[in-house]
Amino acid sequence: MSTVISTRGLQKRFGRTIALDGLDLTVDAGEIHGFLGPNGAGKSTTIRILLGLARASGGEATLFGSDPWTDAADLHRRIGYVPGDVSLWPNLTGGEAIDLLSRLRGGAADKAAYALRKERLIEVFQFDPRKKGRAYSKGNRQKVALIAAFATPADLYLLDEPTSGLDPLMEQVFNREIDRVAADGATVLLSSHILSEVEELCDRVTIIREGKTVESGTMAELRHLTRTEIAFVQQPGQEAAIDAITGTHDLVIDSGRVRFTVDSDRVAGVLPMLADLDVQGLTVSPPSLEELFLRHYGDELATLGQAPRS
Amino acid sequence: MTRFLVLLRQRLRRDRLQLMLWIVGTALLAYAAVSAVFDTFGDEGDRREILGIAIATRTILVFRGTPNGTDDGAFAFFLLFAWLALMGGLMSTFLAVRHTRMEEEQGRAEFIASTPAGRISPLTATVAHGVLANVALGLFVALAFIGTGLDASGSFVAGAAMAASGIAFLAFGLFAAQLFRTSRGANGISVAFVLAAYLLRGLGDAAGTPSDDLLHVTPAWPSWLSPIGFGQFTGAFVENDLRPLLVPLGFAAVVVAFVYLLQSVRDQGASLLPGRAGRASAGPVLSSSFGLVWRLNLSILLSWTAGAIATGLLATSLSSIVGDVAGSNPQVIEMLRRAIGDDASIEQAFVATFYGVVGILAACCAVQVGIRARQEEVHGTAELVLATRVPRVRWLLEYWIVGVVVIVVVLTAAGLAGVLGASRAQDPETLIPNVLEAAAAQIPACLVFLGVTLLVFAFLPRATIPLGWTIVGVAAILGTFGPILQLPEWLNNLSPFAHSPVPSGDGTDWSGGVWMLAVGLAAGAAAVVAMRRREVTSGG
Repeated sequence: MSTVISTRGLQKRFGRTIALDGLDLTVDAGEIHGFLGPNGAGKSTTIRILLGLARASGGEATLFGSDPWTDAADLHRRIGYVPGDVSLWPNLTGGEAIDLLSRLRGGAADKAAYALRKERLIEVFQFDPRKKGRAYSKGNRQKVALIAAFATPADLYLLDEPTSGLDPLMEQVFNREIDRVAADGATVLLSSHILSEVEELCDRVTIIREGKTVESGTMAELRHLTRTEIAFVQQPGQEAAIDAITGTHDLVIDSGRVRFTVDSDRVAGVLPMLADLDVQGLTVSPPSLEELFLRHYGDELATLGQAPRS
Repeated sequence: MTRFLVLLRQRLRRDRLQLMLWIVGTALLAYAAVSAVFDTFGDEGDRREILGIAIATRTILVFRGTPNGTDDGAFAFFLLFAWLALMGGLMSTFLAVRHTRMEEEQGRAEFIASTPAGRISPLTATVAHGVLANVALGLFVALAFIGTGLDASGSFVAGAAMAASGIAFLAFGLFAAQLFRTSRGANGISVAFVLAAYLLRGLGDAAGTPSDDLLHVTPAWPSWLSPIGFGQFTGAFVENDLRPLLVPLGFAAVVVAFVYLLQSVRDQGASLLPGRAGRASAGPVLSSSFGLVWRLNLSILLSWTAGAIATGLLATSLSSIVGDVAGSNPQVIEMLRRAIGDDASIEQAFVATFYGVVGILAACCAVQVGIRARQEEVHGTAELVLATRVPRVRWLLEYWIVGVVVIVVVLTAAGLAGVLGASRAQDPETLIPNVLEAAAAQIPACLVFLGVTLLVFAFLPRATIPLGWTIVGVAAILGTFGPILQLPEWLNNLSPFAHSPVPSGDGTDWSGGVWMLAVGLAAGAAAVVAMRRREVTSGG
């Protein structure tokens, strides 16, 4: 399988601020890759380097095997891009902006087919193309970029927090479009800090923090690193037996339910003991990306929590 | 009351630098201009002569004021007041729109309106802010007049006239903000209103009835339609009559009352004139990034071209009159000579001064095209284009090309307008080639400004907007006022406009133009090439 995006030790400094500090990212052809990190982690900076809008201060980045800085315009033939915060021309209508961007990408050459694609997208995204750019809300500006990106087929979609400002209904429409382009074989890099979105769409995930890659792998691999939660109804007289179960963490007994976590590869070992106890109302929940995220940024949250309140 | 004070303080704080520049700048201009006038037209005989020419030719009055005798104060008021009031008017309408419609457009007004401050007290704070700014402007201009040695009561009357006309413009700005959905629309109509007020009083003065001694004029009716006209009716330094100021102040009161009414009945963000629905798909112009650059700069081009056409028409339609009158006025000839050099004839000199102004207009237009590139970058829309197949170098090259095109269009329009105006002159055959040469002679200096603005964009992107306007502004002041203010030669020579060739029959010296052509083209090319290494900064 060929590699579409590859960065190794990518660095970016703005004066004294270090935005990227050795970022590694590998995205293979045909995959939907989640690019996760809190705001300011360097997601947008990475994407701007991949687009050749910014230049890396160190390390290397390649896109389809080429240098995104020197070969920017050629690479852009194959790329659809949705910025995180879409700005539009105040005097151009949404429809004009969509047409302009599609034509600049060379996607409107087949006029009739393009018109159909545009029409369909405007309809599914429930977008009014006749308003002037300055009159659109954030969500509607986002729709302009999404429609323009999806109306022209691309090999790679670079999407920077593409659903910010969209309502849940539109998020579903967005997910369907992602499924559609993925089915056509396109590669997608989807940056987000919304974990459920990434969890639902992505094959693989890279988590970054303060400009560094902290974790990368398939959803299954990452889950392996976390713990599964087990919970059941508390019955009198079982306390000693519960305490005796080995390998449990964070045991709590709260409002009539017993809850603890075990390392995901040890779940099977715990089950016989639960059977012996004849537990009622058993639930076994796989770790969500939320927990994965909290584990990596937990110390940051703890620091925030300790900050004195004014 | 405390809420009102908080809002007022916020406005004062936000505008402190901007208003200080407007107010102190206007006052300094008044001071410098009055001092220069005293140097140049020191004795009564000179002034008599100038007033005589102005009243005889009439059109000069459009750009000056109502002649009211040769006393120091009255003469300065005649030369300067309308111009100063124009500055005050622009300051006031921009202030009004900035704190009302622009706040609403950008969503900040909604934020404020959701607090107990509500929708009305921000308006009250803006009115108070604008009135304060105008009072300060009037006071500073009065002090500047006093500083040059003019009589105090007259200076304060002149200051009061500035403040009163400014407050009338403030009210109109507030009304325009109710009318339009966008600050751009509101600012556009407000600037047109201020310019119209300036022009109406100009027509009133030009069409007025002169006294027998050719030292006074009673303005005609158009002045009665203009706040600036009423400011002139005070006859500062002579009659010192404050009563005419009740008219602009009354106008302001009525308009502001209406604005309060509109503000209290309309929805937040809504406007009297609804926004129109636009087209759902793009026309053929928007097929390329070049088409986009063209489209983004079209309105800029149209407005500067309109100014250039007006100036070109005036240049030739006035030159014949001047030729007649100036023959007997060594003072005028001397002043024109100082700006032009010794070889040109009076008509040539006159045409050249006007086309110097046309050159400034074309340069401003070109600088604005360069600045538009930066605005696109800051706004984040350049990024959308550069993420498509458009390379960085080509992107800036297209702005350069459009910049060159607007220079040629503005100058050509002014040249054709001049030819049209010349058709009524006594000697069009000699005037027309002069006009075309004078227009063409401006091209090199304009290319320098365009090139330098793009260079700044390539190497000091943040400085593009302030530096672009400063360079062309300073050069324009040096180029037009330098010879009159008798500044040192080397200072004048810093301005590219000073090197523009001056057509003088067969012996026109084009060498300065050739040099500037080379410099301008080199600067533009260097800027475009520099884009190979230039990052696109992210929005904000």
